[in-house]
Parts: sequence; structure tokens; C-alpha cells
Amino acid sequence: MEQLIANGIIYGCIIALAAIGLSLAYRILNFANFAHGEFLTLGAYFALFFAASLDLGFLFACILAIAATAAFGVALDRLAWRPMRSSGANRTAIMILSIGVSIAIRNALIIFFRPDALRFPLPVSQGINIGGMTVTSLQVEVVLIAIAAMLLVHALLSRSTLGKSMRALADNPDLARISGINVDRVIRCTWAVSMGLAALAGIMYGLITHLNPNMGWSIILPMFAAAILGGIGNAYGAMAGGIIIGISQEISTAFLPAEYKIAVSFLIMIAVLLFRPRGLMGGG
Amino acid sequence: MANEVLSAISVCKGFGGILALDHCSIRVEEGDIVGLIGPNGAGKSTLFDVISGFLPPDAGSIVFSGREILGLPAYKIARLGLVRTFQIPRSLMRMTVLENMMLGAQGQAGERLYIPLIRRHKVMAQEKEIREKAEEILEFFDLRRMRDEYAGSLSGGQKKMLEMARALMADPRLLLLDEPFAGVNPALADRLIERIRILKEKGLSIIIIEHAIPYVLALSDELYVLNKGRVLASGRPDAVISDRRVFEAYLGEGA
Amino acid sequence: MLDYLVSIALTAGIYAIFALGLNLQWGYAGLLNFGHVAFMAMGAYVTVLLSMNGIPLLPAVLAGMILAGAAGAFLGMATLRLREDYLAIVTIGFSEILRFILLNWSSLTRGSFGLFGYPRPFQDLVGIRDYNLFLAGLVLAVLLLVYMLLETLARSPWGRVLKSIRDDEAVAISLGKNAFSYKVQALALGSAIAALSGSLLAFYLQYINPNNFQPIETFYAWIMVIMGGSGNNRGTILGALILWGFFSTTRFMEGYLSFSPTASSGARMVLIGLILIGMMMFRPQGLLGRKEELSIGK
Repeated sequence: MEQLIANGIIYGCIIALAAIGLSLAYRILNFANFAHGEFLTLGAYFALFFAASLDLGFLFACILAIAATAAFGVALDRLAWRPMRSSGANRTAIMILSIGVSIAIRNALIIFFRPDALRFPLPVSQGINIGGMTVTSLQVEVVLIAIAAMLLVHALLSRSTLGKSMRALADNPDLARISGINVDRVIRCTWAVSMGLAALAGIMYGLITHLNPNMGWSIILPMFAAAILGGIGNAYGAMAGGIIIGISQEISTAFLPAEYKIAVSFLIMIAVLLFRPRGLMGGG
Repeated sequence: MANEVLSAISVCKGFGGILALDHCSIRVEEGDIVGLIGPNGAGKSTLFDVISGFLPPDAGSIVFSGREILGLPAYKIARLGLVRTFQIPRSLMRMTVLENMMLGAQGQAGERLYIPLIRRHKVMAQEKEIREKAEEILEFFDLRRMRDEYAGSLSGGQKKMLEMARALMADPRLLLLDEPFAGVNPALADRLIERIRILKEKGLSIIIIEHAIPYVLALSDELYVLNKGRVLASGRPDAVISDRRVFEAYLGEGA
Repeated sequence: MLDYLVSIALTAGIYAIFALGLNLQWGYAGLLNFGHVAFMAMGAYVTVLLSMNGIPLLPAVLAGMILAGAAGAFLGMATLRLREDYLAIVTIGFSEILRFILLNWSSLTRGSFGLFGYPRPFQDLVGIRDYNLFLAGLVLAVLLLVYMLLETLARSPWGRVLKSIRDDEAVAISLGKNAFSYKVQALALGSAIAALSGSLLAFYLQYINPNNFQPIETFYAWIMVIMGGSGNNRGTILGALILWGFFSTTRFMEGYLSFSPTASSGARMVLIGLILIGMMMFRPQGLLGRKEELSIGK
């Protein structure tokens, strides 16, 4: 059981990072982004590409990949989301567009990297024993980095001017506009943060499993479940939701065949929507 | 002795610490037009939302036609004959004016999924009746020539008229009009006043929210002034409007 | 030539039925069903599993439709009181979960091995040689029936209420319409129609496995509906034909270009994604749609 909880925390940290980005985008941009899974995948493949083509060390490749994914997000805003916003298209149209983005990115990756599973060029990590649980040093690093990233998000949201502008924009877009907030800039930054976190989550997911073009899409359900569980739009809720979803999925494998673990997040999602639609932590 | 159509007693509604309605009470007698005025943010539209079931109040009682309607879903309240319009006209843009109108009719058998499939003639006969009624009401509002236009292509004033006409299709007993004169040009407004009077003569009870005080004074039998969620004054329009507190409440808005 | 026409009738016809179900939900009621393929899968699997266990085909098909309709209604009831995004999230999740279950419940579905050798309607009477011709006729007849049903409903007072909910739910409610109930009905009926297309697909393919029902199938239907102009049943059928044309031309071109199979199917899918993006950005009213009847937009 402890082992399952440990696995759940590792997986949950990844889901949490992804769900924070999803939730932020939902709050600021006001739509459910179905391409978010692909942003994870993109981040992981960027890291693989940089690690393989530049001789700079894996850590640097990862940082580069996060920056590249964030930059991609800003470019995508310029090319797709912003024209949609300024033409006054509604949320549903933008959601359908996000599906198109998801399909295009996933299949572009299939063309360039083939659909096969790939691994990061890293040595196999040694297992260590902590209180009866076996975890690899890599997994410990993943959890520590995830926690650091969450603290960073917290600092960003609560302390920085950008965080305040984001909150103002989410609460009342018209008022934010009048009060002199550069809305387009805040939105670009939101995309950069959301996609940077997605890239980080994608790299981590690739580290503890492997890479394939479907990897992000395959966990879009737990991501949404985590965001909804935490009250969609609430970044802290998304963190908690991610961990809860991760642990519940892993614990379920003690009772159910492991193939069904993703169904657990679906059931949690339905239950939350039926009985507590604003999520465990309230919010939008 | 007139009957009471609506009696809302001590209605409260808060939004995150701000009391939009603070023990607000309002009564409407059968066949009366009740005016509802007050500065912006006084709670007028919130009161409409609560009475029509679109917003659940925190406390209070709302009796319509002798029946407690608090807690009923909005669509059921409308079916009882309490029909509202919206402050910003909400035409069904992608439906024609006539379709907008026909939607308003109550008791349509063809609105059940299986009826149009098995009882076509009945539905067609009912549709014909509804269409005739719709055209009659459109005529009354000078909109008949627009009947095949998309509602989205109407002018602001026409949308307001359509909204009212559509509400009448439901044969309401009490009509809640939210700023019916907003965006209506003065010439049209005079004709609208005339029409609202005709409706009153036919026995319809109406509550009107309106910013343009002259129109309200011309129509109302009773006038309520709301300020900060409370009824500041109520009674005969000329008496209420000369109340110094009312003047001050509006003055306070300007300051 | 006849074979060619038969194959158009079968694939485009089945997909047209599938997409008509979505058009009822999205085009008329404004519901974001992103998991439409799940209901097609339910139709196919329920029909096949029941008929393999000796249940006659007609009740087997109906059972699939009823079950899919009930599933659609349930998902609607869980989400339709909330913002429209939730239905999208939950349906997309449902379609993935269902596929997982079909893949892993091997004792029932034989997993990715798939099911085959199941009965098809009138297979003894018609014989193998002309069977596809017969089935094409059946598909077209069903398509016509579904089209007529949906047109009748769209022009009925029921359809009028549905359209009013799509345009502005608050108006419908203010006029005494139970918007929630109508949305659930549209979801249930559209899902049942998807199930019907699933049964027909199973008859055509003679072999079903969970990978026939990938999430992408849902978005093929979306493209058909939007391309033809949401809320336009004839447009949806046209959309199905166009998409069918797209697939057959790109497959034809593959023969001349020396791409690997993964690269060419990947390229086709990228194109599908770009079509969806392009339509939303530049022509949300579809090819036939009028701006006034724009279903997506302001």
C-alpha cells in the first residue's frame, strides 16, 4: 500500500503540474483547452530533441524545452487564439479549435518522431529504499522539482504584479481593461506559464515512463479530473486535485486491474460534478 | 375590491457580502401597473430575477396568484403566468421574428418529442392557431412586416418590442418589463405607452422597471423606489416622486 | 463502377447517420458532445454481442440504441446544469473510458482481438456476392429515415424549443420551457442515432475491435456537421460526402507519393486538424451556412 501511495504521489505531481496550467488557462482565457495534453507531449519531445542534438547536458535541454514550449504557446496565441478572441468568437468555437490544434500537433509529432515509444538518453536510475518503499532517485527528483515548481507558481500568483493582473483579468475582464492592464500581455504570459508547466510535466512523465506522441492525450482525462476536483480555475485546487487523483488511481490497482485505473479519475470527476460541481475547494 | 396578484415579502439576496436585496417587499394588485425605479445598483433587476425564479433568494416569501412560488424552477413560474422580459433584449438571433413569437405560446402539444411524429395533424392545426395569434400580436406592435426577418437583424427598439410581444404570447397574468423604453426612440415610446395601457385595460398586471421617470409616471398606478436593496418609498406616483428622500437617493448616485 | 458507388453509399452513408446525431445535439441544441464515437461503439458492441448470443438482430439494434440513449442522458444529467465545457470534458472522457473497457474486458469483448463471425441482417437470403449492394441500400434507407425524422422534428415545435435553447437558454426558460429536459432529450436521441450508425458499421465491417472507435471519429463527425453548416441536416450529409471524398483522394494520392504509411496517415490527420482550425477561424458557418444562421460565433 505504501508503495502504491508513493507511486501515486509521483504520478499525482505530474498531473498536478499539468492541471495547474489547464486551470490557469481556463480561468484567464475562459475555455477548456483540449490541446493541453499535446503541450505536455511537445515539451517532452523538445527536451528529447535538444538532448539529442545539442551537446549541453540533459538539464539544460529540459530548460530549453520548457522555454521553447512557452514560446510556442505565445506564437500560437498570436496565430490562433488571439484572432479568435478579437473576432468575438465564443468559448465553444475556441474549444473546437483547441481540438484541431490537438489533432494537428499530435500527428505532426507522429510524422517527425514516428509513433514508437522513445526514452530519454539517461542512465538507468538506481532504486533506493525509504521506509519500505522502493523509489528511484529520479522519481525523488521529479517530486522535488514538481514541489519547487508549485511553490514558484504560488509566488508568481500571490506576489508578482503579473499574478495580480491575472487575477484582475479573471475576475472582471472589462474592469481590468479599463484599469490599464495590458490584457494581451497578461494573456501571453498566462500561455507561457501554462505551457511551461505543461512542458515540465511532459518531461517528467517521459522520465518516469517513456515518450510517445499519444502520451499527453492519454492523460488528458486525469488532468481535467484534477482540475475539476480542485474547482476548475483554481490553481491551488488543481495541485491538490492532481495529488488526490494520482493517489486514487494507484490505490485502485490494489482492487482493480491496472488497465482500469484511468476510469477511476473519470468516476471521481462524475461524482464531483454530481455532488460538488464547484470542486472541493470552491472557485469558479 | 381588487385581488392581489403578487406579494413578495421581505425578500433578501446577497452577493458575496453585499446585500442586493435587503428585506424588500412589493405588492401588485390585479390589473395594476406598478413602477419600479431607483438609482443604478438599487436591486431592481435582481428583484425581477428573484421573482421570476432566475435567482434563488436567501430569505423571504413570494406569493403569486395565491400560491407560494419561492423555490419553483423559473420555467414553472413562467407557466403559471408570471412572465419576464430582460433588460438587454435577448432575441433569439438565429430564429425569425415569427419563430420567436411562436415559441412563446404555452401548452403546445408539439413540444413533446414524440407528438410531432405521431400526431402531425393536431400539431399542424395548433401551429396554425399559434401563428395567427402571433401575427395579431405582431400587428399590435407594428412588427408584422418583419415577421420573416431574423430577429438578429432588428433594431434595438424593435428587439425591445419583440421581447414584449413574445412574452404576451404566453398569456401572462403578470408581466415583468425590464426597461421597456431603453433604446426606444421618443416617437415610438409614446405609442408603446398607449399599448401598455391597452394591455392593462385587458386586465394584465404589469411591473415596469424604467429609468425614464416621465414614462413611469405616465403609466404607474403604484410606484416603488428602491435604493440599496430596500424599498425607500412606495405609494401613489405623484406623492412618491415628490418625496425628498427619493430625490436625495438619485442625487447620491450622481455624487 | 458499381462497387465504387456501393462503397460511397456504405461509408459516407454510415458516417452521415453518425453525424446527423451530432447535428441534432450541436446544430440544434448547441451541446458540445466531444465523445460521440462512444455511442457508436455502444451500438456496434451491444448489437454484435447480443446477436452472437442468439438475440434477433432488430431487438439487438434497438437495445444498443436504448442503452446509448440512456448513457447520453446520464452524462447530460450529470453536467448540463453546469457550464457547457463540462459536457465536452465528460463526454470525451467517457469515449476514452469506454474504449479502455472494450479493450480490457477480454472475456466479453475479446479485447483488441475483436469480434467477428456475427450475424448480419438477411445474410442467408442475400448471399455474399451481392451483400454489400444490399447493405448499401439498407444504409441509404436508414439514412433517409433518420433524415426525415430529424427534419420533422427540426420543423416542429419541439425543434423550435431546441433552437431557442441553443440561441439563448434564459429566453426559453423565461417562456416556460424546461431547457434542461430538452437538452437531455437531444443528447439521448442523438446518441441513439449514433448507436444505430454503429450497428450498421458493424454489419459492414464484419469485424469490430475497439480501435475502430478512436476519439478522432468524433471529430470527423464534427467536421461534417460544421462544414455543412451546423443545424443543417442536408449540409451534414454533404459534409459526410466531402470528408469521404477527402479520405479517398488522399488515399489515392498515397499510391503515387512514396511516404511511409505512418507518415501519410499522420499527414492526413494533421490536415484534418488544420481543417478544423481553419473552419473555426475563417468559415464557422460552414460551406452552405448563412451568416445569420451562424451557429458558432457571437
